[in-house]
Amino acid sequence: MGNLGANARLKLGLWLLLMPLGLWLLLLIILPHFELLIFSITDPEDGAFTFEFYSEFFTEPLYWRTFLRTAVMSILATVLTLIIAFPVSFYIAKMLKGRSKGIVFAMCLIPFWVSELVRTFGWMILLRESGVISNFLQFSGLAAGPVELLYTDATIMLGLVYSSMLFMVVPLVSTLDSLDDSYIEAGYDLGGTNWNVIREIVIPHAVPGIVSGCIIVFMLSLGNYLTPVLLGGKDSLWFTEQIYTQFITRFNWEQGSAFGLMLLLLSSLIVWLGLKATGQSFTKTMG
Amino acid sequence: MSKQCTIDLACENISKHFTAFTAVDNVSFTIPKGSFFSILGPSGCGKTTLLRMLAGFESPSSGDILIKQQSMLDVPPNKRPVNMVFQHLALFPTMNIEQNIGYGLRRQGVAKAEIAERVTAVLARVGLAGSGKKRVEQLSGGQRQRIALARCLVLNPTLLLLDEPLGALDLKLREQMKIELKLLQKEFGTTFVYITHDQSEALVMSDQIAVMNKGKFEQVGTPHQLYYEPETAFVAGFVGDSNRWHGTITSIDDACLMLKTDDGLSFRAKVAAEQKLEVGATLEVFVRPEAINVSRTAYSDDDNQLSCTVQTLLFDGANSQIIAIEPNSGGKITVLMPQTSEFVNLTMGDELFLNWSATQTLGFLVEPENRDSAVGA
Repeated sequence: MGNLGANARLKLGLWLLLMPLGLWLLLLIILPHFELLIFSITDPEDGAFTFEFYSEFFTEPLYWRTFLRTAVMSILATVLTLIIAFPVSFYIAKMLKGRSKGIVFAMCLIPFWVSELVRTFGWMILLRESGVISNFLQFSGLAAGPVELLYTDATIMLGLVYSSMLFMVVPLVSTLDSLDDSYIEAGYDLGGTNWNVIREIVIPHAVPGIVSGCIIVFMLSLGNYLTPVLLGGKDSLWFTEQIYTQFITRFNWEQGSAFGLMLLLLSSLIVWLGLKATGQSFTKTMG
Repeated sequence: MSKQCTIDLACENISKHFTAFTAVDNVSFTIPKGSFFSILGPSGCGKTTLLRMLAGFESPSSGDILIKQQSMLDVPPNKRPVNMVFQHLALFPTMNIEQNIGYGLRRQGVAKAEIAERVTAVLARVGLAGSGKKRVEQLSGGQRQRIALARCLVLNPTLLLLDEPLGALDLKLREQMKIELKLLQKEFGTTFVYITHDQSEALVMSDQIAVMNKGKFEQVGTPHQLYYEPETAFVAGFVGDSNRWHGTITSIDDACLMLKTDDGLSFRAKVAAEQKLEVGATLEVFVRPEAINVSRTAYSDDDNQLSCTVQTLLFDGANSQIIAIEPNSGGKITVLMPQTSEFVNLTMGDELFLNWSATQTLGFLVEPENRDSAVGA
């Protein structure tokens, strides 16, 4: 009898502990998406069920092409971020010791204390026609007139990679940190070159960190609004801009909702395909 | 020339200085081909640093390392004919057993079919045939040990370095692995350099042992020599169990010294002739518990006889010990308990006669400048 009472109390405790998480999920994730879903399948005129906002996405080339472009650019940004972040993380986790390790890691973190908006403006100051780099090129005689470096795809890529860097470095440093030095030494001891050791020992060990870093960076890039708009200008054609336009400029909430859900579904699909292609599972990576 | 070629490893005056301390201090030694060489020392004595210099992970501050007469100073770890079994084995967890053993062969560019063949062969030799597809975590501690050995031995290294690989095993398995390691070493004929702080591992397996202390070799010799003829007080204290006293010389005659220990025991000792001895000098004195003859009745054939009473019995099966006390002086001595019927009923307070010969008393003169540290130790 007493045992039963204790069991019930334990259950109550568990529910109370799960409450904040449950509320968060319900109020901020499930409810809004449910609302979006309702919006996207309801005809605003007569309130009947309709699928036209989804078929609009597939029939109007501008929309699905924008999405495709966004996805490809995000994948590219993810790959570039990985390529740049891996050596940095390896250096922090394995080559540096003690205090200098903390300092270099902090130096990676510090830029992210500044708001993303300010950081993006920083890039604009550097890259615009009357900016620092343009002036330097003219001053040194490498360019005859002002050089506009903003509003290209390369600039968007630069901004995306820069703003995602931290989210790749942190998981990579923590997985690489957990790789015991003796594995690396054993790799050399048995005759491996630098490349062999990286390829056969370091990378297989770091796979969970690589996958989780890539998922985070890909999702952040795909959902990024500020960087493509500010650095890419009018021609940036980012999918989040389409959603913004539908909601704010056109007051077409139904279309915006459908786009929002398409973004969620398609990005989940891409992540799933990515995991399948690399033979990873979501639980393995996150566990 | 032929004699020269039988030396696999020669270290010439190698030292390793770190900013704050010297880890290895001017060590020289040679290891003949096919022998099992152990470096025995307490933790922090520099043995790991020495081993890492042989593997190439550290470079010596001075001196030279020669493997088959070739200097290894400018050779990186992956080019040395040396392989290492790491303390925690470092079997790659992302690979299965076959891939682990094949790793080194793949680096040498051996053909796939030959790799498979050699991996199968070496697995059979270490008694784990058929476990090539298993994952590392599916194997027991002893099996992993053998895989770690196989991963190195498949490459036919000139020298195999072992960094206390038995440390993580439980006692029973460790005893078994000691014998197995020795057998494998004989079978493969590879030169082993084994570092350990466990004297029993070193004594059981080695052909030669170097006892290391504070970055220096105290003595290099066979297990027999280290045990019976230690050259320094450190070796006498570190190898095997010992009763250990500080004693003062009370008289000297041509054959023997008469000693009186700090806690009051008096007995005779023979001490190596080269030491300068005089009455009143202080010695560090060692008598092994197992070298003392225990008897219930007095007899006087030996040089030393103490009449004691049993103070404590430390039961540990075959290694049970008696702590006996001499009633007159209060001095204590530890002896190994004989397992004969005579002593089965031994209880506290029983009277015992302890005999041993003067040659089994080891004495080392305490240098005045070393005295404080020796007493402290």
